[in-house]
Amino acid sequence: MKVLVANIEDVMREAAARWTLIAYFFLSTIFIIIFASAINLDIVDGALAGAKLFGREVDMDNNTISIEKLVLGFETGFSVFLYFLCTFLAIFATAHLVPRMQEKGTIDLYLSRPVSRVKLLLSRYVAGLILAGSNVIYLMGTIWLIVVWKTGVANPRFLLGGLIIFLVIAVLLAFAFLIGVFTSSTAVSIMTTYGIFFFGLMLAAHEQIEAAVSKQWQASTIKTMYWIFPKTAELGQAVVAFVGGAELPERVLRALTPAPFLTTAAFGAGCLILASWLFTRKEF
Amino acid sequence: MTPLIEVSGLRKQYRSSFGKSKITALDGIDFTVGEGELFGLLGPNGAGKTTTVKILLGLTHATAGHASVCGLPVRDPESRRSVGYLPEGHKIPNYLTARQALSIFGRMSGMSSRAIAQRIPALLDQVRLGQWADVRVKKFSKGMTQRLGLACALIHSPKVLLLDEPTDGVDPVGRREIRDLLRDEAKTNGTTVLLNSHLLSEIELTCDRVAVLRHGKVAAFGSVEELTRTTATYKMVATPIDESLVSAFRESGAGVERVNGHMVLSVSDLEHLNTLVDQLRARGGVLSELTPVRSTLEDVFVDLVRADMGESVGAHE
Repeated sequence: MKVLVANIEDVMREAAARWTLIAYFFLSTIFIIIFASAINLDIVDGALAGAKLFGREVDMDNNTISIEKLVLGFETGFSVFLYFLCTFLAIFATAHLVPRMQEKGTIDLYLSRPVSRVKLLLSRYVAGLILAGSNVIYLMGTIWLIVVWKTGVANPRFLLGGLIIFLVIAVLLAFAFLIGVFTSSTAVSIMTTYGIFFFGLMLAAHEQIEAAVSKQWQASTIKTMYWIFPKTAELGQAVVAFVGGAELPERVLRALTPAPFLTTAAFGAGCLILASWLFTRKEF
Repeated sequence: MTPLIEVSGLRKQYRSSFGKSKITALDGIDFTVGEGELFGLLGPNGAGKTTTVKILLGLTHATAGHASVCGLPVRDPESRRSVGYLPEGHKIPNYLTARQALSIFGRMSGMSSRAIAQRIPALLDQVRLGQWADVRVKKFSKGMTQRLGLACALIHSPKVLLLDEPTDGVDPVGRREIRDLLRDEAKTNGTTVLLNSHLLSEIELTCDRVAVLRHGKVAAFGSVEELTRTTATYKMVATPIDESLVSAFRESGAGVERVNGHMVLSVSDLEHLNTLVDQLRARGGVLSELTPVRSTLEDVFVDLVRADMGESVGAHE
């Protein structure tokens, strides 16, 4: 526990000192301010009388859109944006944790302590998750509060959608750690992690790709890659489906199946196990 | 004396980048360091000093042999519970203050927050950083950073200190303070100190025993006194010293070197020395000083390295 606390303190102090924490939360705050300014709702006697989005009137369709529907629709759409934003910011803010720890002169100070290498690496991972998670909570929590304040409508599913975003961040951070242990390069960790994210988006169309390739082994390879790599597209859809709830079409709600969650989590666990193994064998 | 550091048959081979050739960093070294002992590790660049220290800390894995610290094999992280390490070129995160750095490393060594809070003020005073406790490391000078590194190594009151160039970048006054601190730790707390340094004068002034490494092997080993003692060379101050006396000494088989009004004599044994004294007195000379000449540790070190270079040149020829 002491090792974990020490690593959390170290990571947070570094984030604060190197302006990472400030930039992280500053960017999130910018988006929150834009969001808060963009929406103007006229609520009369508890009913929605009119709405403006980015200064434009929203067609109320003769007042048949309820405020709850509007909030749900908005939060569902915005959750996609937050999915990308939170993930990108999190990886950028935490990918350096392993490469910087492995620098000559620094790693000696850490490894000379009575801590196993696996414990050191995993506690640093947890510290990174706390840093990333705190921003997810800040961003989604503040937006949720603004919506509640402006509309009086509280949709807890919006907040819980943050859990799916957090899962994706945890898996991608595990991959970044693996690359960091192997290469000791922050730049490579960031590039390859974003690469995996977008590769996962492409692989969502794996059936079409498999049908398009000419050879069976190519199709098998595509399929295997689909099942191995994180399902970043499916989990993005799952965020939308979860936030929107039963209001959404069936084809969207189909994203809420266990398979993408389990296989993505397994990929993350595999990355962490491999990173730990490599780190114990590495010579400094 | 209970050995706190034991090294036996230690070997380390590195593979080149593509695994084709092997580089032998350590070729079977043995030594022990007892409790409360100040032990120096010397050697030219590439001799295996830092590799030895890294194996003791588990930073690098030995190819063969055995090493233990505080009775535990070095692969066990618990062996480092009572070890403090100051690496060469250490990088304490410069965004931390001295207090924060000690707190983090103390916690990683298993100390409680209360114990850390109690220890920090006295420790910072001990390394003359008491007034800099809440200043960020990036504002420290090289010497101050080195002293903070030493404090980080001492924060958990270790039984064993492994120091790699501890006085690197430190001014002469600071070097003396560190020497005194290490001696104090050894004497008062029984701390075992293994010192890795290129500053031979520092090793000579600080350490009780030294091992000189060369090409991954122990080339010389013993106390500083044993290594620097030369029983066969004496300084003789006498009057008069003339060519006939020198010739007579040389005819007896002694090596004679005239230096600044005195002579340095190389003799085979004490009996030979007494024969030379008799010869001097027989000629009516007056002996005013006769002292054994000690070589410095630098002399021993350079002789070992040069002997190796001579072997290498001979081999090439």
